[in-house]
Amino acid sequence: MPMDVGKAPVGFSHIQLKNWKNFAACEVELANRVFLVGPNAAGKSNFLDAFRFVRDLASAGGGFQEAIRRRGGVSAIRSLAARRYPDIELRVLVRAPQSSWRWEYHVGFNQDKQRRARITQEKVVRNGETVLERPNEDDKQDPDRLTQTHLEQVNVNRAFRELVSFFESIRYLHIVPQLVREPDRSVGRPNDPFGGDFLEQIAKTREQARVARLKKIRDALRVAVPQLTEIELWRDERGTPHLRGKYEHWRPQGAWQTEEQFSDGTLRLMGLLWVTMEGGGPLLLEEPELSLHPEIVRFLPQMFARVQRRTGRQIVLSTHSPDLLRDEGIGLDEVLLLRPGAEGTEVKPANAFEEIRDLLEGGLTLADAVIPKTRPDKASQLTLFADL
Amino acid sequence: MANGTVVSAAVEGIVDEAVVRTVIAHAGAVAGDVYGKQGKEYLRQKIAGYNNAARRSPWIVLVDLDREQECPPPLLNAWLAQPAPNLCFRVAVREVEAWLMADVERLAAFLRVARNTIPANPEGLDDPKTAMVNLARSSKRMAIREDMTPRPGSGRQVGPAYSSRLIEFVSSFWRPDVAAMRSDSLRRAIDCLRRLTVAQ
Repeated sequence: MPMDVGKAPVGFSHIQLKNWKNFAACEVELANRVFLVGPNAAGKSNFLDAFRFVRDLASAGGGFQEAIRRRGGVSAIRSLAARRYPDIELRVLVRAPQSSWRWEYHVGFNQDKQRRARITQEKVVRNGETVLERPNEDDKQDPDRLTQTHLEQVNVNRAFRELVSFFESIRYLHIVPQLVREPDRSVGRPNDPFGGDFLEQIAKTREQARVARLKKIRDALRVAVPQLTEIELWRDERGTPHLRGKYEHWRPQGAWQTEEQFSDGTLRLMGLLWVTMEGGGPLLLEEPELSLHPEIVRFLPQMFARVQRRTGRQIVLSTHSPDLLRDEGIGLDEVLLLRPGAEGTEVKPANAFEEIRDLLEGGLTLADAVIPKTRPDKASQLTLFADL
Repeated sequence: MANGTVVSAAVEGIVDEAVVRTVIAHAGAVAGDVYGKQGKEYLRQKIAGYNNAARRSPWIVLVDLDREQECPPPLLNAWLAQPAPNLCFRVAVREVEAWLMADVERLAAFLRVARNTIPANPEGLDDPKTAMVNLARSSKRMAIREDMTPRPGSGRQVGPAYSSRLIEFVSSFWRPDVAAMRSDSLRRAIDCLRRLTVAQ
């Protein structure tokens, strides 16, 4: 089906969660670049997981039952703050480049007496017009239909296939350098978020594009790893792809090293640069600052902004890094603060706090203004651990 | 020209770092480690430490005057009563953006704006940063406008890639000697660095 240019979805503009993991009830606007900040276990990863959930619903090999199974069942998803057994609900608004176009997807679910996951509602609205609303007559005739969403069924999703493709295009990345080096240890599935198929992905890319991207990565990496003068894809005698880099050195010719010898930071930065160059759907990043030098981390927000200007790709990331948040180009509407409370975690944009605006006006950096709001309550008690 | 004198520096932010590195090289020295980069207050707290280090080796500390005082001397005195002989403690009037605007020709070409839109007396500006953002807003290039001017609702003074654009300008195009003709505080900073370099 040809897609109308300008009407196909490109990014999330709004999300609402009910009883989803840490979030009893939350509703926020989403900018094209989103920074999630909060103490450990506030639910930053669970917030990202809501997007991964809709991706799982729509993707091949996924579907509703599989998406629930991967998360350990309905009761593992339901917020502990939820009363009795209410529905779990996700609602997202999705924007298209033509500003008048909007998509909405809404799904609610629960489990039946046999603990099977059941859809309680599903709705797709395209530009103000409802194109799907369930449960419908067919569902009432045959309740077993409520074990699947219509997103996952090719024969019924024709009217909103653009939305399905958009959900499928969501990409989650949390590179674990050990898995890049030893792909055998990863589950080996395609699009492995932990980098298990990173080398395979590079090898699969058309040669011209690959060479161009690796060259760009090398130029960018020069800032962090000045000794690295070349990067290329190389296959060993078994045909297994490797990345190798040439390091300038006291030896006149320099020396080649493969990914096995790259540092954790070099590998993570390479992975990060590689995915940001891929166009495509929203990119979810888990703490991109890990293993990177603070001076590199400071430039990540600006790098993302400049890449986004070219690709338009939405980036949603979690972070604990003051160095990252020190960037003065980060909008207050781009920062979401996650703060745990008795009724679950509350999510609010930084511009909802008057004191943050006052502190910035008074000359503090965003990091100075935001980090204290996300600090765990009793962090200092950790020192008492030694005396327990 | 470079005689190999290594000058350490402390500055407010990442744009200032690019500026100070370029100015040090221009004065014939080599930029060493650059400290601070966490805002003005951070520098104010650490100034005694930098001064202490400057007893042994050449240093430059660069801060923006902002609207803290009418002119640099009171700020210098308030921050540090007795600067070490090897310390260039310099103040940009009123912000380092004014130093960049002082190279009118190159900035106009980089931002793709008309030359006559760039203020002729940058040190007379009350708020050079806002002036820089406004210049970028009138750029013929969409990329410059999107990178440097804040989106509505962002609540920030600058755009998402404002700093990296200015760093790009400073490292590849900006000419300190030309800019020093329109900016007295820059000229003084260069002179001070030259004295340090000669003295070593």
